[in-house]
Amino acid sequence: MTAADDQADVEKVIAGDISAFEGLVRRWQGPLVNLAYRFCRDRGRAEEMAQEAFLRTYRSLSGWRRESTFSTWLFALATNLYCSELRRIPARTSALDDIVEPRDPRAMDETYEAEDRDRLVHRAVFALPAKYREAVILFYFHDLDVAEAAASLGLPQGTVKARLSRGRDMLRRKLSPHFAAPELGREAS
Amino acid sequence: MRDQELDAILSREQDIAPSSGFVASVMEAVGQQATTPPPIPFPWLRALPGIAAIAVALGVLLVTAFGVIAREPTAQPTFLELQAVLATALELAKTIRAGWLALALAISFVCVKLSTHLAATSENR
Repeated sequence: MTAADDQADVEKVIAGDISAFEGLVRRWQGPLVNLAYRFCRDRGRAEEMAQEAFLRTYRSLSGWRRESTFSTWLFALATNLYCSELRRIPARTSALDDIVEPRDPRAMDETYEAEDRDRLVHRAVFALPAKYREAVILFYFHDLDVAEAAASLGLPQGTVKARLSRGRDMLRRKLSPHFAAPELGREAS
Repeated sequence: MRDQELDAILSREQDIAPSSGFVASVMEAVGQQATTPPPIPFPWLRALPGIAAIAVALGVLLVTAFGVIAREPTAQPTFLELQAVLATALELAKTIRAGWLALALAISFVCVKLSTHLAATSENR
């Protein structure tokens, strides 16, 4: 998967060779479907959203100004679409306050050891307000890279850092009662 | 909960694989897109004379109204004076057939909005 391959395919598509677009779809279908899945947690909807993202990519290919790599531009376009789509028809989420806080954390700790804590954390992420959720999802999707997350969201890095910090703070506060040895107050780097 | 724990849990997200027909489905949609003619843009060039005429008429109306008020700054314009301004504006509107222009513009606007809405509805289906 190289930037040169992407660029070559884009040039071909712009020149009228629609079949060259298939190369782009094959290379980027995985990341785009997975990014969509992280936003909606629904496989079918994720594929629909990814397909729409590819269609928009096709329509706007001539608008890619080569100031950034094709992948950065593609993720920004897809992120914009996914965020709008999820704001239009939200995914089935539960409010952050709906995640019940245990009266006695020590007692609940044993219960949650047996349960899938990953699912609880993901549920908590999903219950975050949209702007924090989007920053958190993009940060972890891009392997903890704030710059990449900021480029995808089309926001300054400082804004993304602030949202990430606030989002993780909310997550820690909400999840701490469910896990042993809570550690609050640490900010995202 | 520690940051490291949170990072670990959120980083080990399980990837899903797109279904086998995904590429074909996207390419089919792209093919359809390529054969669909581009949407007809709003005829701004044709509408421009009408918009300009309405702007000029509004400007003349405002200038006339301010002129009447400026002549007697302390006194409130009388009913007769306002009636005269209104009559002048109506005469001007009649001369440039502003009513027809406004009607044509309104119909064009409704047509564009309706077709956009219908196209969006059929696309979402």
